[in-house]
Amino acid sequence: MRQESTAFAHAAAGQQRPPGGTGWLLLAPLLCWVVAFVVAPAAIMLVYSFLRRGTLGGVVWEFTLDNYAAVADPTYFAIIVRSIVFAAITTLLCLGMGYPVAYLIGRASEERRNLLLMLVMVPFWTSFLIRTYAWVTILKSQGLLNSILLGLGAIGEPLELLYTRGAVILGLVYTFLPFMILPIYSSVEKLDGALIEAALDLGAGPLRAFARVIVPLTQPGIAAGVLLVFVPALGLYAVNDILGGGRVDMIGNVIENQFKGNARNWPFGAALGTAMLVAFGLTYWVVSRRQRAVEFGR
Amino acid sequence: MTRTIRFILVAVVALLLPPGVGVAPGAESLNLFGWSEYIPQSVIDEFTEETDIEVNYEMYASNEEMLAKLFSGATKYDLIQPSEYVIEALVKEGKLEKLDKAQIPNLKNIAPEFRGLPHDPNLDYSVPYMSGTVGIVVNTDKVKEPVTGYRDVFQEKYKNRIVILDDPLEIVTWALHTEGLPPNAVTKENIEKVKPLIASWLPLVKVYDSDSPKTALLNGDVDLGIVWSGEAAILYNEDKKFTYTLPKEGAHRFIDNLAIPKGAPNKAGAHKFIDYVLRPEVSVKISKEFPYTNPNAEARKLLTPEERANPASYPPGDPKLDTFRDIGENAVLVDKVITDLKAQSGS
Repeated sequence: MRQESTAFAHAAAGQQRPPGGTGWLLLAPLLCWVVAFVVAPAAIMLVYSFLRRGTLGGVVWEFTLDNYAAVADPTYFAIIVRSIVFAAITTLLCLGMGYPVAYLIGRASEERRNLLLMLVMVPFWTSFLIRTYAWVTILKSQGLLNSILLGLGAIGEPLELLYTRGAVILGLVYTFLPFMILPIYSSVEKLDGALIEAALDLGAGPLRAFARVIVPLTQPGIAAGVLLVFVPALGLYAVNDILGGGRVDMIGNVIENQFKGNARNWPFGAALGTAMLVAFGLTYWVVSRRQRAVEFGR
Repeated sequence: MTRTIRFILVAVVALLLPPGVGVAPGAESLNLFGWSEYIPQSVIDEFTEETDIEVNYEMYASNEEMLAKLFSGATKYDLIQPSEYVIEALVKEGKLEKLDKAQIPNLKNIAPEFRGLPHDPNLDYSVPYMSGTVGIVVNTDKVKEPVTGYRDVFQEKYKNRIVILDDPLEIVTWALHTEGLPPNAVTKENIEKVKPLIASWLPLVKVYDSDSPKTALLNGDVDLGIVWSGEAAILYNEDKKFTYTLPKEGAHRFIDNLAIPKGAPNKAGAHKFIDYVLRPEVSVKISKEFPYTNPNAEARKLLTPEERANPASYPPGDPKLDTFRDIGENAVLVDKVITDLKAQSGS
């Protein structure tokens, strides 16, 4: 017993120790990856955002703050707000639909669990764009869904489903649902059934046990799921183009246009990108601070 | 273990290298950077067969994407395929090699209407590859009234039945045509002048799509639209109920060209390729696969009467057509005005 606890203490202390030579060597690939694909591009973006537009794309090396002045324009502000609203609705729907699924998978027997998990991942075997175009054939006015409803006599006229906001939200939820299910599942799997039994034995109803015991214990999974869905949903514009008909711009569309559209305004695109990066950073900081407050508050 | 690591390293390096690096040393190669779905693979294969020049064909989806990759310098391209207004900008900045016309005898096949245009009047730097227009497609099963101009398209009764190109400069140009202003006078004042007109148009639009505007028309989700002639030609081949009309106020003629970027490593090969695709029997093959307007007068003679009757490829009559000019800084204003108006019409 004593030996065990010392070993545990050693292991715990080992985690705190700074990595030695071998440790750094093992970390090197990851560090290189982070520097090459995260730090360097972000630094280039930051630098470009303070430069002037080049005639044929690219930048002219002259310092300016004009790009940030342009970001503050009410149109772009409205577009950013709309993108946040779409991403937030997507996140809430994913959470509402994903949590019960993740919970059921996590509580299922071992073999069924693996089968169910595989079913969640099956869509990833097909390209995201192809799956999105598949929705076009389902939702179009002479599409699958309308034909079924017309055939059943449920509707007299084809419904307008494609090229609507609803179609965009549907596409986003469809794309990101697995990213909500998987992290919550991993939290639910670790959940100790005894704690739930204890809560029920001590007189908590199922609702109370859920709210006071299950949700707090799966909170890391929820937080990870929310971040994994919200952040990419904010930037994804392909769904908006394919299922929404590009009728309104998302912030991703505006940024894309600065690089691949007539404007060829890289510095402005970089300024928009930097603004989004700062917004993501702030969101993450707030979420993780809250989480720490919750942990220490207990 | 080491073998696995070595395999992974080799695989990663192989994936990172640009295509064509694996070609045997000594074999002559040509780095061609062109639009996607524009050069038939058979044409490239036959060129390689005849000349022994290996062609590395990389593709792009917009002129701006091409410029970004061209100036990143990662690959030295020998041939690019810019549109007319980009040719003008590239020539202005001294980024294109002057063509050696002695090496391109087939240049004589280019029709007179594609010579003397403002972006490159003497074809000193560029050779027209394919051309097209931007016009009105109508599903005549659904739309019975004649639609002959921009104003006819943007009517209240067609609300939510219209597809247009997701291209700010195109939209602004249509408005300039409609207001009787010169289509290339894309200035701050003129943009302000046409702003109310565009503001009245955008709320009527159901789909913005530059990549495949034919999809919404084929699916029956919209009944009319303003699209690339190539898309309209495909629709017409699919079903004759789709008609194509050039707006009476005037329309955009785009010309995609072959050009050699400054410092290209294989200029001789690039000239050979240009001359090869200018051969009538080669050029007609391109036309058969991609039914744009062929600027090659000799190749047109080899088309079937039916292909020449496709109104989207070869519009009848004497339409009023303008090519785009380089508008420099004003492109930023064009992007902003459409973003603003879209935001207003969408909320």
